[in-house]
Amino acid sequence: MSTVRRPTAAVSVDLSIPVQADLVVLARLTAATVAGRAGFGVEDIEDLRLAVEELCLSLVGSRDDGRLHLTYECEGDAITVDCWYEMGDQAVVKSDADDLSLRILDALVDEHGRDLQEGRPSAWLCKRKAG
Amino acid sequence: MDQSFHISDEERNGVPVVSASGEIDVATAPPLRDRLQALTTSGKSTVVVDLLGVTFLDSTALGVLVGALKRCRESGGELPLVINEPRILKVFEITGLTGVFPIHATVEDAVRSVA
Repeated sequence: MSTVRRPTAAVSVDLSIPVQADLVVLARLTAATVAGRAGFGVEDIEDLRLAVEELCLSLVGSRDDGRLHLTYECEGDAITVDCWYEMGDQAVVKSDADDLSLRILDALVDEHGRDLQEGRPSAWLCKRKAG
Repeated sequence: MDQSFHISDEERNGVPVVSASGEIDVATAPPLRDRLQALTTSGKSTVVVDLLGVTFLDSTALGVLVGALKRCRESGGELPLVINEPRILKVFEITGLTGVFPIHATVEDAVRSVA
């Protein structure tokens, strides 16, 4: 008997990682896994992988302390990724990558935004399957 | 395809060529930055950067390349890139950097453009 993998109607995945350069890869690997499971195409998955990387970079820049908390939610034809930064002791500095990150996000996802939730820097994005 | 990051360099017709492969992200961009800085501070005003083996590239990597390009141009040189993977080219297109870097499809073309 063969098994057909079907997109699941609603999925929520939480990820919490220390802010370390070599661990940001986990955020994009999770994005690719969630998107693949939801039936997104290769091009969309690659777009989402890069977009999630930039979402993380837009929050933490070059800092290497604190934790990043991500929630991936897949419902219908859309994946939403919410990310917030639990700051460590380092002072907040502006990242040189900010402008490039925002340009990449503008191009690759349907919607994205940044916010301060209860004093915590946060950002989110939403990507829908290509028609 | 191998996703791990590798970097190597050689000279072709007197032109330094730095070849990167794998994923260039916030974790792996620093060795590329250091290699390019070492070349430009040692007097090489033009460096070809071969990205043919690169499978992923983020804004950190773009920042490294833009910084190296500025240093090369300040010395009267250039930083031609070699890209033929559409996904990598797309990152340059959406950030408006295709109009900033000279981009070639082969290392030979890039070297010929500056030799």
